[in-house]
Amino acid sequence: MIWPFARRRHVSLDAASAARRDALAALAAPDLDQPLAALRWCVVDVETGGLDALHDPLLAIGAVMIEEKRIALAHSFETGLTQAQATGAANILIHGITDSAQRAGQAAHVALLDWLEFAGNVPRVAFHAGFDQTVLERDTRRQLGLRPPAPWFDAALVAPLLFPAVAPRYRHLDDWLGHFGIAVYTRHGALADAYATAELWLVLLDAAARERVTTARQLLRLLRARRWLSLH
Amino acid sequence: MNPAIPLANSLHRATIEALRRQAPFATMADDEVLWLVQRLSVAYYAEHGVLLEPTQAAPAALFIIKQGTVSGVTADGQAVFQLAAGEMFPLGALLAGRAAANRYVAAADTFCYLLPAADFHTLLARSTEFNDFCTRRIASLLEESQRAVQSEYALALDDEHRFARPLGGLVRRAPFSVAPATPLAEALAAMEAARIGSVVVVDDAGAPIGILTLKDVLARVTLAQVPLSTPISAVMTHAPATLPDTAPVADALVLMARQGIHHLPLVSEGRLSGVVSEKDIFALRRLSVDGITSALARTDDPARLPGLAHDIGDLAHSLLAQGMDAENLTAIISSLNDRLTERIIAFESETDRKLAGLRWCWLALGSEGRMEQTLATDQDNALIFEQANDTQREALLAFAQRVNARLDACGFPLCRGDIMAGNPQWCLSADDWQRQFTQWIDHGTPEALLHASIFFDFRPLAGDAALAFDLRAWLNRAAQKNPRFLHQMAGNALRNRPPLGVMRDFVLSGDDAHPHTLDLKLTGATPFVDAARIFALAAGSPQTNTAKRLREAAHALHIPDGELADWNRAFHFLQLLRLRHQHARLRTGQPPDNHVNPDTLNPLDRRILKEALRQARKVQARLAMDYKL
Repeated sequence: MIWPFARRRHVSLDAASAARRDALAALAAPDLDQPLAALRWCVVDVETGGLDALHDPLLAIGAVMIEEKRIALAHSFETGLTQAQATGAANILIHGITDSAQRAGQAAHVALLDWLEFAGNVPRVAFHAGFDQTVLERDTRRQLGLRPPAPWFDAALVAPLLFPAVAPRYRHLDDWLGHFGIAVYTRHGALADAYATAELWLVLLDAAARERVTTARQLLRLLRARRWLSLH
Repeated sequence: MNPAIPLANSLHRATIEALRRQAPFATMADDEVLWLVQRLSVAYYAEHGVLLEPTQAAPAALFIIKQGTVSGVTADGQAVFQLAAGEMFPLGALLAGRAAANRYVAAADTFCYLLPAADFHTLLARSTEFNDFCTRRIASLLEESQRAVQSEYALALDDEHRFARPLGGLVRRAPFSVAPATPLAEALAAMEAARIGSVVVVDDAGAPIGILTLKDVLARVTLAQVPLSTPISAVMTHAPATLPDTAPVADALVLMARQGIHHLPLVSEGRLSGVVSEKDIFALRRLSVDGITSALARTDDPARLPGLAHDIGDLAHSLLAQGMDAENLTAIISSLNDRLTERIIAFESETDRKLAGLRWCWLALGSEGRMEQTLATDQDNALIFEQANDTQREALLAFAQRVNARLDACGFPLCRGDIMAGNPQWCLSADDWQRQFTQWIDHGTPEALLHASIFFDFRPLAGDAALAFDLRAWLNRAAQKNPRFLHQMAGNALRNRPPLGVMRDFVLSGDDAHPHTLDLKLTGATPFVDAARIFALAAGSPQTNTAKRLREAAHALHIPDGELADWNRAFHFLQLLRLRHQHARLRTGQPPDNHVNPDTLNPLDRRILKEALRQARKVQARLAMDYKL
């Protein structure tokens, strides 16, 4: 199939960036049939200029890597994106990213290349992952013309699956963090939220193993069945 | 957050900050902590999950508990110690490069930082602070063996227990020994220089083959006019009695009494390991306690009593300095204070003809009633009497006030809350006391509960004890009949939480008068005291002593022996810290109090203190369960 818009809309890259993009384009999809414990996970959180995933600007990306069921602190990622113009004051209040900080970040295409090189083809995890996925894939396509092959896992869907008893009461990340006694070191920081989500993901991986879910593919299948059940 | 570390992202900075709340990271250089943080990974262990098995060869990583609790479990499956946030393990095994001695199991959902073993060793070489902390013998001991903790908690629980201690613990210096051919002149000079009363003669293998004591010298050397060039083997006692240094103290006492000897060589694997003398064994004994007791009994001059009261204080300080445990020490202080008070009461009552024919009993309340007096003690007492007319009441009150004044002169300040027998409110007939107790039990107001916590620990001290025993029996029936009251007391006791944070360290006072301190009495010892009182009232027990109350309750409530032992150890450790703190303040001329800054404790005491406060929480949890609070 031909994507008429994908290539036309992305900005023209300098030679070095183009080389980096081409290397990323060669990534293969990850093997989802590996044992869960051996699989790497990239837990990510984004901050945006609003709650509209299709239009609001991407301000910051934070991510940590889980390897063999451990969060490696050395492999953590945090970047801010330069904005043509600062977003509204209301949002600055929520995220604490001030006007000058918004202007001081990295150029969008550099930040995204850094992010993709950090994450590689590792399966992504986020809480309410639909939002993070939409924003990141939107800008990756516009800026770099790339569609990374990594699948997304939503902790907000996996948690109720493994802890159904408490699920009806919990909707937000804070509910689940509170339940497991996980502290967030900074409110609404992309890396802080990603890290807290990663701790939650460790709890969920442990619970999944006890429920005899052994591969990422099984987990995906369970999620689909669950969604099907709730829709029908 | 620390913006001075440019290479660190916000997660690294937050982790550095979190680690810095704990020793040894608090004192390590920034770049060393950052170096550490960038090598850490975080793992999760659900409750009951195993972190480390003793079967694994040398451990692959150092664990630093981020949040949660980890139990050390021995081969026979017994949980012997608990580690909390900030604590590290298995230090001993990592340092020695051998398997861990225990299984480590998550006692609650736990997150840990893991540092690979190779990086652990690099950090040891990089950071002096980290190295000091890890290699300090006691820290690894604590982690590897509960025994270290126990020996720090207390020497012994009672006399019987003390005589069950191994003799090796009494040895104060390296053994002094000479070869059989040593000339007497040389051996005696060495004894004089070392100020010791005996010398042991050993063979080439280090086994004791003879002993010579100073007493022997008089008969066998001086009076026998033996030249000092004679080898010691010619005059020594051959084949002296010995005991292994693991034998209990009691065995030594029996042997010494039977053979009429005062010095006993100890052996370990056939070699001389030390010498104990009768003096060593009796150093902690009641000799001076007996001295004060008999001086109190002999004196017929009340003016001498303040001096004797001062002696009690000095004795307490010296016993504390010698390392006596809190249960014995508080019991000794209380019983000597009892003798002193009895003496004062005798002086004041025997000469007062208005009291003739009246039945009365002096009641000790509060910590004195529980036999748990520390060095900071004001008066808590009351008087109970049978029927009395107004004149008699006045006489009893005047008598009580004279006793209060004399106690004050002896260094027991008048009670700030005026809870003293000389206060007409607390100088009552048996009927009045029952009415007063009934009112407290029925009303359950905060004031009534406070009074109950002081008065319900009453104990007869002098006079007609039957009055107190009757009141106790009546009170137990009244309390048992009124479960609502016990429920209120339990609720009140639970309001006083041990100052331990969920995530990390102690919760310290924000109080301006005592900033950055813990109140060891109110938030440390009191939870045990309060719970024990409620258990005793519910069970109808006549005991007033906290340890005894807990022991009785444990039987009735089916609390396992191990748990009970932990409670009592924790309670007595808290009492010991209070005593030590008060001792230190008195030594520097400050009034004794109970506010301790945990930073001034050594790391081992801090850890034990944490564990003791956790035990206080457990006692409260038990109370909460029993009363559905």
